[in-house]
Amino acid sequence: MFLTLQTNDKRPLYLQITDGIKSLIAGGELREGATLPSVRQVAGDLGVNLNTVAVAYRQLQDEGFVTVRHGAGAVIAARNPGRIDQSELLPPLRTVLTQFILAGLTNHEIEAAVRQQLSLLQQKGGAQ
Amino acid sequence: MTAPTEFEISVFSIIMIVSGFVYNFVKFEWNRPLRNGPGFYLGIAVPAGFYDGPGKIWLKGYRATLLMMHLALAVTLAVPLALRLWNWVPAWAGGSALLYVITLMTLHGWTRHKLGGNPPVCPVALSLETRRLGDYLSWPMEALMAAIIAVSWWLLLRSGDPHIDWLMPLMLTWIAPGFFVLKIAAIRSAAPLPLECAEKHYRYQEALRRNNIRVLNGCCWFIVTILFEVALMSACPSVRKTIWLFWLFVGAPWLFWGYYMFQIFRGERLTATLGRDLLPQGSFATPFRRDASLKMQRSYLIWFAVWIIPILVCSVYAVVR
Repeated sequence: MFLTLQTNDKRPLYLQITDGIKSLIAGGELREGATLPSVRQVAGDLGVNLNTVAVAYRQLQDEGFVTVRHGAGAVIAARNPGRIDQSELLPPLRTVLTQFILAGLTNHEIEAAVRQQLSLLQQKGGAQ
Repeated sequence: MTAPTEFEISVFSIIMIVSGFVYNFVKFEWNRPLRNGPGFYLGIAVPAGFYDGPGKIWLKGYRATLLMMHLALAVTLAVPLALRLWNWVPAWAGGSALLYVITLMTLHGWTRHKLGGNPPVCPVALSLETRRLGDYLSWPMEALMAAIIAVSWWLLLRSGDPHIDWLMPLMLTWIAPGFFVLKIAAIRSAAPLPLECAEKHYRYQEALRRNNIRVLNGCCWFIVTILFEVALMSACPSVRKTIWLFWLFVGAPWLFWGYYMFQIFRGERLTATLGRDLLPQGSFATPFRRDASLKMQRSYLIWFAVWIIPILVCSVYAVVR
């Protein structure tokens, strides 16, 4: 199972790691109970600072996607879709849609792009 | 059948070590720059037609350096052979291994500095498989090694032999646990995986990692069995009179030496076959700075210096005293 880091991605590295792991959880590739590699291992493999990875893991922990167990490391937590209020998710979606509109895409093209990304997520591992 | 003399053991040791060096030189080192195909020199991407122009000079320089290094090793070996200074042989073996590694590392570093200044940046993949020490190390075998070292010291201390040369057991005892740290470094070491063929790169790195652990295990067992042999000979001189037992203890370390060399050559073949179609490490850059790994490498380098300096000092002292 691999997490991809692109060359042209403008997001900070910790956010790329956080979003990548979330995407794998959403796609069902990382299931509840799966153990993530240690901060030291990830930092060593990527050749980045330990703190960068630690911040990413802490954010995942704060958002409830992973739990840190002493001796076992970071473990994927049970998914609880009811926990997050849908209204909290709408502002970032609106921001992305605004960018699409400002880029000159038609409604049809935006819908196609959203459908494509959604199916990409789902075909990786059967997101529920 | 009689017990081997110090001369015979030394000659046998030299033959074993030199044959390993020669095989490695002819089979792997001579053509190492060409291993990744015509688009690469020592794993560094080079433009088309490189080997028709400057590549010829680079290749000649590489081979001349290798020949000079082997000539230096041959000359330094000829001296103790001519003067029959058999206590120089272990120091020569350790020194030549160090010279070999340092020369090749310097050559690679210098070539990368000159030819591979700005490698292309490519997207990378991160494997989320966890690597635990227990997945690579056998704890019972590690415990057995520690037990053999402890038993060796128990034998040495209870022998009461006033003629024991304490320098060798002390040095061997210092060397052996160092391999444990080297194994941890080997397990933790990894390079970013290019997005293209990430799975193949991962399997390649994993195969090499496991092979490196086997190499280090072979070398560590070689050292531990020598320590045990030295302790046993000091504590139980009667072993020398039982010829088959004597040969068994003299031969055991060399069995591990053979295993060690076999694993080194196996690793070379793995690199050649599994890594044939893959991007060589260092021929591309990652989208982010490589700073933390350097810090981690630095900590291992500091540890390595702390480990190797007393070994070198003891080796020189053993020769000059």
